[in-house]
Amino acid sequence: MLRFLVRRTLGALVILLVISAVTFWLFYAIPRDPAMMSCGKNCTPDMLKQVRHNLGIDHPVPVQYWYWLKGIFVGRSYGDFGNCPAPCLGYSFANRQPVLGTILDRLPLTLSLAFGSAVVFIIFGVGAGMIAAVKQGKWQDKVASSGSLIASSLQIYFVGYIAMYFLVAKLGILNNPSYTPLTDNPAEWASGLLLPWLVLALIWTANYTRMSRSQLVETLSEDYVRTARAKGLSRRSVFFRFAWRGAMGPIVTIFGIDLATLIGGAIITETVFSLQGVGRLALKAVDQSDLPMVLGVTLLSASAIVVFNIIVDAVYALIDPRIRLA
Amino acid sequence: MSFSRRNFLIATGVAAASTTVLSACSSGDKGSTDKNVPSMSQAKTVNIPVGTKADSTGPAPEVKGAVKGGTLYSLDQFDMDHMDPAQVYVSTEGAISRPILRGLTGYKVDDKGAAVLVGDVATDAGTMKNGGKTWTFTIKDGIKWEDGSALSMDDVRHTFERLFASFVTEGPRYVQQWLVGGDKYKGPYDGKHLDSLEISGNTVTFNLTEARTDFNYTLAMPGYSFVNKKKDTKEKYDKQPFALGPYRIGNRDIGKSLTYVRNEHWDPKTDPIRNAYPDKYVFQFGFELVASTDRYIADKGNDQYAMSIFNEVAPERMAQVMTNATLKKRVLTQIDTVTYYWPINMTRIKDLKVRQAINYAWPHQQLQTIRGGAASSALATTILSPVTPGYEHFDLYGTEKKPGGDPVKAKALLKEAGKVGQKLVIAYQASDTAVKSAVAIKNALEAAGFQVVNKQVDKSTFYTQIGKVDNTFDLFAAGWSPDWPNGYSVFYPCWDGKNIGDGRSNYAQLNDPGVNKAIDAAAKLTDVTQANKAWGEVDRQIMELAPVVPDYHSIRNWMHGSKVGGAVYDPGNTCLMLTKLYAMK
Repeated sequence: MLRFLVRRTLGALVILLVISAVTFWLFYAIPRDPAMMSCGKNCTPDMLKQVRHNLGIDHPVPVQYWYWLKGIFVGRSYGDFGNCPAPCLGYSFANRQPVLGTILDRLPLTLSLAFGSAVVFIIFGVGAGMIAAVKQGKWQDKVASSGSLIASSLQIYFVGYIAMYFLVAKLGILNNPSYTPLTDNPAEWASGLLLPWLVLALIWTANYTRMSRSQLVETLSEDYVRTARAKGLSRRSVFFRFAWRGAMGPIVTIFGIDLATLIGGAIITETVFSLQGVGRLALKAVDQSDLPMVLGVTLLSASAIVVFNIIVDAVYALIDPRIRLA
Repeated sequence: MSFSRRNFLIATGVAAASTTVLSACSSGDKGSTDKNVPSMSQAKTVNIPVGTKADSTGPAPEVKGAVKGGTLYSLDQFDMDHMDPAQVYVSTEGAISRPILRGLTGYKVDDKGAAVLVGDVATDAGTMKNGGKTWTFTIKDGIKWEDGSALSMDDVRHTFERLFASFVTEGPRYVQQWLVGGDKYKGPYDGKHLDSLEISGNTVTFNLTEARTDFNYTLAMPGYSFVNKKKDTKEKYDKQPFALGPYRIGNRDIGKSLTYVRNEHWDPKTDPIRNAYPDKYVFQFGFELVASTDRYIADKGNDQYAMSIFNEVAPERMAQVMTNATLKKRVLTQIDTVTYYWPINMTRIKDLKVRQAINYAWPHQQLQTIRGGAASSALATTILSPVTPGYEHFDLYGTEKKPGGDPVKAKALLKEAGKVGQKLVIAYQASDTAVKSAVAIKNALEAAGFQVVNKQVDKSTFYTQIGKVDNTFDLFAAGWSPDWPNGYSVFYPCWDGKNIGDGRSNYAQLNDPGVNKAIDAAAKLTDVTQANKAWGEVDRQIMELAPVVPDYHSIRNWMHGSKVGGAVYDPGNTCLMLTKLYAMK
């Protein structure tokens, strides 16, 4: 296990290094000028030169990349703007703040959104899929299958606004979406995020219902499940000890990627519900050509994907004894 | 207040983001909606005379029915990029800084929206000598910073000298250009002072390189508000400026929220502009237009006490809001000072008849429909907006008679010029609306006999590209809003031959001796009525040369909660005037 974790962590670091280099290069490949965004209405060539100097983008791209990379390990000074202690992911001149601090400030909301909705959609999605598989061909299966088909066709920017209009504005059942830190007030934390969780879960539940149903239906028809039944094991025991564990492999894989994607920034969800998470931060950074912030958020997303992939691989071994970590 | 490149991009981006939906809904609702929006004939020019010394004494006139106390909230899309006054240029930044920052002059607005230029921190709106080359202001007694210390003359000098520092790249640059010796001065941080800024007792004198009869209006820009020398942290000052107004920053979470609480050291007797009714302002950021409008419509909880500085009524909700008398009561509607237009590159399109043909062929009405109809924009026939002093209504190219364009007349002009088939390269910024508009323009101009090539340009480099003298475009989308309410701040930067050059804002590259002379002459007039008349004539004189196609004036609609009182227009910042607002009990 330890060897597995060490090997995968080293691999992950290489991946993140490549991603940062590619992002850096891509940023300069597109025809945008970040300095123009910080040069006023009466911008002159001299002022533009000064802004480029202030932003530190008057060096060759490889040099800039080296400075950025070095800053992660030893920190970096930004002159009159201040120091950025290690691990320094850069300084956002658009936000007037170090990148890491800003990301860490927005991350709790995004984590709350991701994990909260994940709990709802994994429980309801897998639960509905299990019922549909067990009751295959019956009305429960038909309701779950057709319902998930409809729900998976919906989009957050459609359901979100409609849900807000009816549940918040018209009926007043739920509060306006907002974020209160969990440690400040758990009740307000939950009530402020309930609507985004439900809307996200509605759409994502559908995928998990369909996926777990099809996996379970397939597993239930496997020889080893039939053998277990023939040996006289109870229906419940066959389902949970054999069929369910066998079906969970692909679902865990997808769940890991989905959760990582949500942590990387649910841009549309955060926009629809006016929440200031990592997704909105990424959107604004791209719009403002704020390279340090773009890099920071990209690395966060990539890290989430890489870390969850490692976790998923480890979980595989736990739920399916046929898989060994090597 | 003016558009910086960034604000221009944001504003056009908002319009762009909204019009796809709006154009779809306007077809069904247009008739009913259009009856409920201001027409050009309803637009009232915002004339702002210079007030007397008595006008400059505090306290500010009471707003009828206003009560003190409570908290006002905002629902806005973006946080402010800058709060260091030297970096403040865009209107939203100016509006939000009004309750905490003070300058030498400012606009005193009554509860009906009538404005007058007064001394803010100065005892009056200034004394002009030497034909406008020398201006003197006397500082009032009792002006205190948020820590209780008095505004010193060192602070006054430092405020203007630090405008020259290298980190100041986004604020207005008028004073820096006009102060004698400003071209060589590098700021106060190496211990050197600027000699043209004279301090004597409690008076400050500005010695300018040219006669500026409206210098006191220039100083009303929030970009010239005071900075505390002892608290100046250079670049870092942008995060948390030191307050001189009735409020100070209580808490700031950049990109998320900003809270103002009372500055206990502010004396209302020294302030003729600010009323300061609520105890607290809580500005909340991150709300899309649809989200904020829906919350205003629902009008629940704290949203009853909310208003917006940036966010206007979402185009998707325009019909719903404007046709509902109850909701419409909570909307402040105003034609903006900005005019959106399409400069024609005079270096490339030299023939007057060709430029006139472009104007005749222009599909104003189709473009208005793409933007969302008459609820959000009014057709332009002039460079000045109807609300800017000096505006004179005229329509040289028959836009009002044929808003869809007159291809027959345009083609006839092209034939006369022998230029049928003239190639036109059109540049525009990437957005949904711009793409649709470009297609409509191409169709209209080609119907008139032009051959059109559309070129989409990335928004971050758009102004760099069209601002190059040797650019390869014939026609490009642009816009301008005056920095203070008169014709000078429109015509000098954009239409005077002296402002042709890389990075300068005379995008059409118009260099007509008659126009240059008329601008110089109008700028020297001290009588406001005469000056306004002259600016109207400059507008007509330029339009006769057809170096531009005026496209539209935007109509802005700000909604607020049912318990927000005192919503009036701030002519200095083209937004809601925060300092007149109150929270109803």
